[in-house]
Amino acid sequence: MKTMKTIVMFLACMMAVLATASASVPADDFLGVPLIPNATMFSRSDTRAELGTSLSHDEAFSFYKEYLEGKEDIQIRDWEKATYIEDDGSLPWHSITIEKQPVQGMTRVTIAKDSWTWIIGTLVLRFIGVFVVLSILYGGLVVSGAILSRVTATDKKK
Amino acid sequence: MNASEILDMLVGTWLTTGLAHFDWQVMIMWAVGFLFMYLAIAKNFEPLLLLPIGFGIFIVNFPAVPLMGVNEDGTEQLLRIFYHYGVQWEVIPCVIFLGLGAMTDFGPLIANPKTLLVGAGAQLGVFVTFTGTVLAGFTLKEAASVSIIGGADGPTTIYLTQHLAPQLLGANALAAYSYMAMVPLIQPPIMRLLTTEKERKIRMRQLRPVSRTEKIIFPLVTSVIIALLVPSVVPLMGMFMLGNLMKESGVVNRLSDTAANALMNTVTIFLGISVGATMEAHTFLSYKPLFIFALGIVDFVVCTMGGILTVKIMNVFLKEKLNPLIGSAGVSAVPMAARVSQVMGLKYDKTNHLLMHAISPNLAGVIGSAAAAGMFIAMFG
Repeated sequence: MKTMKTIVMFLACMMAVLATASASVPADDFLGVPLIPNATMFSRSDTRAELGTSLSHDEAFSFYKEYLEGKEDIQIRDWEKATYIEDDGSLPWHSITIEKQPVQGMTRVTIAKDSWTWIIGTLVLRFIGVFVVLSILYGGLVVSGAILSRVTATDKKK
Repeated sequence: MNASEILDMLVGTWLTTGLAHFDWQVMIMWAVGFLFMYLAIAKNFEPLLLLPIGFGIFIVNFPAVPLMGVNEDGTEQLLRIFYHYGVQWEVIPCVIFLGLGAMTDFGPLIANPKTLLVGAGAQLGVFVTFTGTVLAGFTLKEAASVSIIGGADGPTTIYLTQHLAPQLLGANALAAYSYMAMVPLIQPPIMRLLTTEKERKIRMRQLRPVSRTEKIIFPLVTSVIIALLVPSVVPLMGMFMLGNLMKESGVVNRLSDTAANALMNTVTIFLGISVGATMEAHTFLSYKPLFIFALGIVDFVVCTMGGILTVKIMNVFLKEKLNPLIGSAGVSAVPMAARVSQVMGLKYDKTNHLLMHAISPNLAGVIGSAAAAGMFIAMFG
């Protein structure tokens, strides 16, 4: 009986120790971004983690807002289908996307690593963008010039 | 009064002087300030800006001077007020653009609009430098603000930096204006390197005359296109186009004259001193300003190359060839870069005047660098 009592006490102590230990272990993270507790990991690679959580979009957003508090160079974009959090500073991750529409009762969260493909890609796009803007202006000037010279020619004929 | 009280009084008096708070860093900043004042006064390098900037650096780096801080009652001190309402609120760069618009004749650009593409090509350095700056450990916002230096447009540099990385404002503005002043030294070797003697002698057809109506329509068309495609830069470009419309309409001569002269001169004083005053030793003395200066020149060189190469690419498709020397004017240092094209052209053919042809990509460069800034603001702002 005494042995039984000792075993029960030992097990209780062990459970208490384990419970305390698990509470103090820091939550899992991806590139320093905390993962929502009890979330289901859909896929995880070195550059990207996709998880699903039973929390609503707003709750998941609040969770990450708390983590982002005090961090500089963070941009939050409220898109139609998702909230897109982007780091323009020097953190190792690039973006956290929280989808607004749950799929099978789960809100999908995607965390992506800083990527040179993104940086170079967007730069090339912007450089082309400058050409596009000035080309459209070029087109506008040619068209307005042509209209004006036609109007002037008609006036002269009259 | 005993000896100890007298001593306390003396110590108290001593502590109110700048001498008690003196350190070696302020002396370095004085040297920096003196360097820019020297360049302005003795070398005539962008004196309108480098002189007040240099003096701003000099005066703000005296210990205990009440210029850039906040008083005990919470009110801001003199230069901080200029900086706060002029630069932080982004008023001054936009007012300068208003004045520039009132000073600018877009006739050459309207007569030869294809050179708008040269202004776009000359933004190459902006995007190349961005990559280099990110690699050096700057944040994306800082990198964007540093890279715009190559566009050689002071107000745009200040506007973008204030938006994205205000901590780099002093260094970026100083680098932009310094390199703009050094256009005649930086560009000619690149122009020689990238062009053949035959190309330098290309004669361009005289520009057609542009009617007043066309000149009036231009700011309106440009405003519409910029507002639709790059809305983030409309505060700058809108004011630029307003200034130009005032000038070309001819009905508000008093206003356009004020914008181009009195107002422009007034805000230039406040801009110079405010930018200089941001360069206090404790914020300026780090590796970043040095790096910005080093990358700024690379940026400038690549932008110049981008403009020249764009002309060369265009020449492959054009029947009437453009002289590639006007490509370097695609950076927006107006009108210095255009003058450099003119001087280089005359060196190889004494009767080949390129100034009016070069003004056109020069103005395109102003619009191009503003568009590039708008792209960055849309990206990170």
